[in-house]
Amino acid sequence: MFHAFDSHSASPHGERAQWMALLARAPMALLDPALGQHAHGAPRWLRPPETGLMMVQGRAGGTGERFNLGEVTVTRCALRLPAQRHEDAAVGVAYVLGRSHRHAQLAAVADALLQDPALKVSLDATLLAPLRAHLARESEARHVRAQSSKVEFFTVARQSGTNSEDEEDGA
Amino acid sequence: MNPVDLKSVGAGFSELSFGSQAVFRAALHALSYPGRPVDMVHDAEVPTQGHAAAAVLLLALLDPDCRLWLSPALAGSDAAAWLRFHCGCVLVAEPAEAQFAWVAAGDEAPPFACFAQGSDSYPDQSTTCVLEVSGVVESTAELDPASWRLQGPGIRDLVSLRVEGLAPSTAATLLAERARNHATFPRGVDLFLASPRQIVGLPRTTRIALEG
Repeated sequence: MFHAFDSHSASPHGERAQWMALLARAPMALLDPALGQHAHGAPRWLRPPETGLMMVQGRAGGTGERFNLGEVTVTRCALRLPAQRHEDAAVGVAYVLGRSHRHAQLAAVADALLQDPALKVSLDATLLAPLRAHLARESEARHVRAQSSKVEFFTVARQSGTNSEDEEDGA
Repeated sequence: MNPVDLKSVGAGFSELSFGSQAVFRAALHALSYPGRPVDMVHDAEVPTQGHAAAAVLLLALLDPDCRLWLSPALAGSDAAAWLRFHCGCVLVAEPAEAQFAWVAAGDEAPPFACFAQGSDSYPDQSTTCVLEVSGVVESTAELDPASWRLQGPGIRDLVSLRVEGLAPSTAATLLAERARNHATFPRGVDLFLASPRQIVGLPRTTRIALEG
């Protein structure tokens, strides 16, 4: 699902999509401390967190016909950071899996902060880098777990003559 | 929608369900008593373009299934972005495709015949038009030459309504349009007049004539 975001780095628009994808999967234990006092300010909601369903679509084999895989629970929100002038305030948006309003809020705060080039440098080091490492570890652990149950299938060649009776019946 | 758009977008109702239900109640009240100005009480950060009363009325009524037509002054303004963000409504270029229309003050309203009229089987599928005016006053003076005389369901005898901010020629055209609209009943367009703070409901059943 996130493969496209993790493996391509492209335009500045793509960059924001990348960090939004990272934040959407961030565990709260990483997100909360990295944001410091920003995590505890009262947000100015553009759209308060709301939970709903989204249809996930897949393609058979990645290239086949599109089909509806199933619905997932998604929580989204949009908020504005406190600023002197209303128009200057960065707007953060988050869509996260699950029902955690707090997660959506923190992801949106982080998204808004990351749009400030000055803050982005420090947040990159304190939040995004540990997040990438965490997700890489998680993915590696999942890979190892899956590998441990791997079964090799061998095709056994039929010996000639064993099914001669069947052939006679069919003839 | 790109992030530049979002910066100019204000918040909607602070309590979504209470805010929109209060506005919906006001809209029901306005349609039940045609010609009576109803105050729109709300706490939304309305866009700079367009009247606040019209903006919150549409904010409460629209949802992602709704098609909205905007007059030229509103199309492409922050009002369009605001409604798109909060309601998810679809903006259409053809008035006939729209279920709702918002005509800004100063913009010329298209003839009512251009809007969706509904059908005899489904008269509810017609357009609801929100028309901005600078003021609406229920006039008490006996013979105010500029005011409109309203009659029809929801009005006991007669209501006099003074509509401000419409040029006399525009008002005359509008009333002629309304008369034609009335003739096609049960089909026809429902109308809301929106001043900056108030709305007036003029459902298709209301007959309007100029005083005097």
